[in-house]
Order: sequence, then C-alpha cells, then structure tokens
Amino acid sequence: MTHMKKALIVLLFLACPAHAQTDGQWILGQSTLTYHVSHPLHQTEGVSHAARGKGVCHAGQCDFLIAAPVKSFDSGDSNRDLHMLQVTRGAQFPLVSVRTRLPEGVSASDTIQADLDVEFAGQTAHYEHVLFKRLTQGNEIRISGTIPVTLSDFKIDPPSLLSLPVKNEVPVRVEMTWRKEN
Amino acid sequence: MHGIQLDEFALIIEGDFRMNWKAQKVFVGLWVLLLGLMVADHASAQEAGVTLSGTVTTSSGAVANAKITLKNAATQQTTEAQTDASGRYSVQDLPAGDYELSVSVEGFPITTMPVTIVAGVSKMMDVTLGGAPSLGDLGFSSAQIQGSPQNQALLDKRSHMLKIHQRLGLIAAVPMIASVATSFGASGRSTSSTDRYLHLALGAATGDLYFTSAYFAIRAPKIPGTQTRGQIRAHKILAWIHGPGMILTPILGGMAFSERSKGERVHGIASAHGPVAIVTASAYAAAILSVSVKF
Repeated sequence: MTHMKKALIVLLFLACPAHAQTDGQWILGQSTLTYHVSHPLHQTEGVSHAARGKGVCHAGQCDFLIAAPVKSFDSGDSNRDLHMLQVTRGAQFPLVSVRTRLPEGVSASDTIQADLDVEFAGQTAHYEHVLFKRLTQGNEIRISGTIPVTLSDFKIDPPSLLSLPVKNEVPVRVEMTWRKEN
Repeated sequence: MHGIQLDEFALIIEGDFRMNWKAQKVFVGLWVLLLGLMVADHASAQEAGVTLSGTVTTSSGAVANAKITLKNAATQQTTEAQTDASGRYSVQDLPAGDYELSVSVEGFPITTMPVTIVAGVSKMMDVTLGGAPSLGDLGFSSAQIQGSPQNQALLDKRSHMLKIHQRLGLIAAVPMIASVATSFGASGRSTSSTDRYLHLALGAATGDLYFTSAYFAIRAPKIPGTQTRGQIRAHKILAWIHGPGMILTPILGGMAFSERSKGERVHGIASAHGPVAIVTASAYAAAILSVSVKF
C-alpha cells in the first residue's frame, strides 16, 4: 500500500506539465530572412543571413527574440539597398527585431502558430497566428514561414521608381535553424 | 722608431679601449635588460588592463554566487568566476578575442551570450536571468543598437537629391527624343531655318535639363563604406558615354548650324554631330533602362 502511494505521487509529479518540461534556452544558428518587393517593372528580393536569436524558457514558456541589422539585407544592388535603408529609416533604427512567446511544448508539433511583435523603422506591429513549419534535424530544429509584413504597418511610404510606387505588401520569408541548450 | 712609438701608443689606446668596451658592454647590457623589463611590464600592463565585469540579476534582484564561465572561441580555454553578494562579477587579464559568456544559476537555464573583447578596452556585460532576452543578450553592441540621426539625415538628403536627378532625367528624355526626331528636318539639303531653330531649341532644353539632373547625381552625398554593386554600376558606366556625348553634341551641332546657316553643306568634324548625338541618346536610354528593368 505504501509502495502504491509512492508510485501514485511519482506519476502525479511526472504528469504535471511544469515539471515534465525542462527549462533551457534556444540559440539561433543559421538563418535566412528574405523580403520580397513588387514593382510594376520588376520584382526584388533582399536577403540577410545576419540575424541573431535567442529563446529563454522558464516555467513552461519560452520568450524568443530575433534581430537583424537592417543594412544587412542585400538585394544585389547597392543603390537599391541604400534607398531601402533610407525609406525604412534604417540609419536611425538600425535593427529589425521580432519577439514572440511560445509554450515550451509547442516545439513538438509540425507547425507552430505564433503571435509576433515586429519592431522595425521605429514602429511596432503585431501579427497574430503566423504559421511556421517545423522540421527536426538531429539536435536542431528548422523553422520556416512567411511574415505578412506591409509597409503601412510601419508607416513607411512606398518607394517609387519612374513615379510608380512598389506594392504595400512586402512579405518576409523566414528560414531559421535553432538548437537547444540546457 | 716612429713605428715602435706608434705601436706602443696603439697598445695603450687598445688597452684603454678594451677597458672602456667592457664597461660599455656592461652598461649596454643593463640598458637592454632594463628596456626588456619595461617592455614586458608594459605588455603585461596592457594584457592586465582588459577586464570583463557586470551584474547578474533576476526579476527579484541581484544573484549571489552565480557561476560565470568565459570560453575563448579560438583556444576553447575557459575562465571561471563567481558573483559576489551584490551580484557583481569581474574577469581580469583577458586577451582580445571572441568569447562565450555563460551564467549558471540554480533554478534557471544556463544563459550564454557572445562577447567580443577588444585589446585595452574593459567591457561591461550585465545579465538578466529568467526574463525575455534583450538585444544585448544577442551580442549586439550599443553602437549597433543605437541609431544615428545624422546618418539618417545624410541618407534622406541623398535620396532627395537622387529623386530630383531621376525626375529631371526623365523629363530631359522628352526634348531629347523630340530633338532626335526634328534632326531629320534640320539636317537635309532643303531645310528651313525654322526647322534648325526648333532643333536647336530642343537640343538646348535637353542640355539644360541633362546637366541640372547630372548636378543632383554628382552632388548627392556619398555614403561611406558603400561599394557600387549591381545594375547601378551599368547606370554609372553609361554616364561616361552619354556625359561626354552631351558636351560634344552641342559643340558639333553649333558648328553644323553655322555651316548650314551660311548655305554650306555640313562638312568636316561637324558632320559627326548626328552620329555622336545618336550614340549619346542611345547610351542615355540604356542608362534609364538599366535602373528600371531588372536583368
């Protein structure tokens, strides 16, 4: 009977989610952030591999922060990149950052729905239920998805070429590899 | 006799010199030793000057006895320290390089962050445990986090001037096309002076707009550390063709105009006015296309 009680206590202890999930932190390894700009005359993409990120887990919740220098985005044309830096006020607000909070257990599912707070060009925009795909590769987790960023979310005037402005929608494709450290 | 005296003198001198040379050797040796000690002391003073310090806190305050581990990324050598009662830590005598700072406190996940140590510059790195990560936790320096309104103003001025350059450049294309179109009426054998004056007026309008546009491109502030890449390179290279062309074309045009006004046939170097104008207009059109269409 005493053994039964002990076994029950152990089972109850293990069943409690707070104890079942261990604290730790996530470190962003490789990353590719790609913005896509549509203009009536051409399509442009700017890529950055300079993002840094970290997730701190405590009491079943993980707080993530990912940030990249705005000037690290490369579209292959120096004039376009400088113009992008100007319209996004990148010299005054040099970093674009994304914050999100996820339950620790979410890393077990194939898709992740996250509410994101994106800080860019001196403004913060909130994006709800952004869907990311999750793929486990050994000790690492690969996350990919698209953040539906618009220029008006950050009070950015659409830049124009030959008096034709670019589209307001500038989706940002995210590909990240995270590794957990306990 | 004279030779013997000289030899004796030489021996005396040599003896004195040997004595002096020995004294000098000791003296120089002492100096070298002293200098060596000074250099070593200076070097060790520089090494010792680099200290990493900071405070470890949680939402409830400072953390005592937190374990600090600093791992050199190049050598993998680790240095350990502990926070005091007020949560402060200090790691001294650090050589310059990239490190990984780990903070370990019971009840919290181990927090790690990158740190770069620059020779001769002590660094502070505060760590907050249990809370959401900050930009500092990602290893961004304050210079990378803080913006520069001056640099933004420079970018704004550059964009503003280049927008004017773009608009005037596009407007200049209109009289340029019209000028090319009227050139057929101005250059034939049975041309009227009206045709020639119309061509001249359009050419002059093109030149005015062109050089005003060029002024804004040339005077737009340069952004330090920027290398010209991509299609803008083609745009700039083409300027070396249409720029001289825009100087030559009116000079040759003036000569041709003068010859035609005298009733002469356009001859000599003035006959290059047409071909030079065509090359200039073509390079100009290509320059516009080079920044408009992606290829």
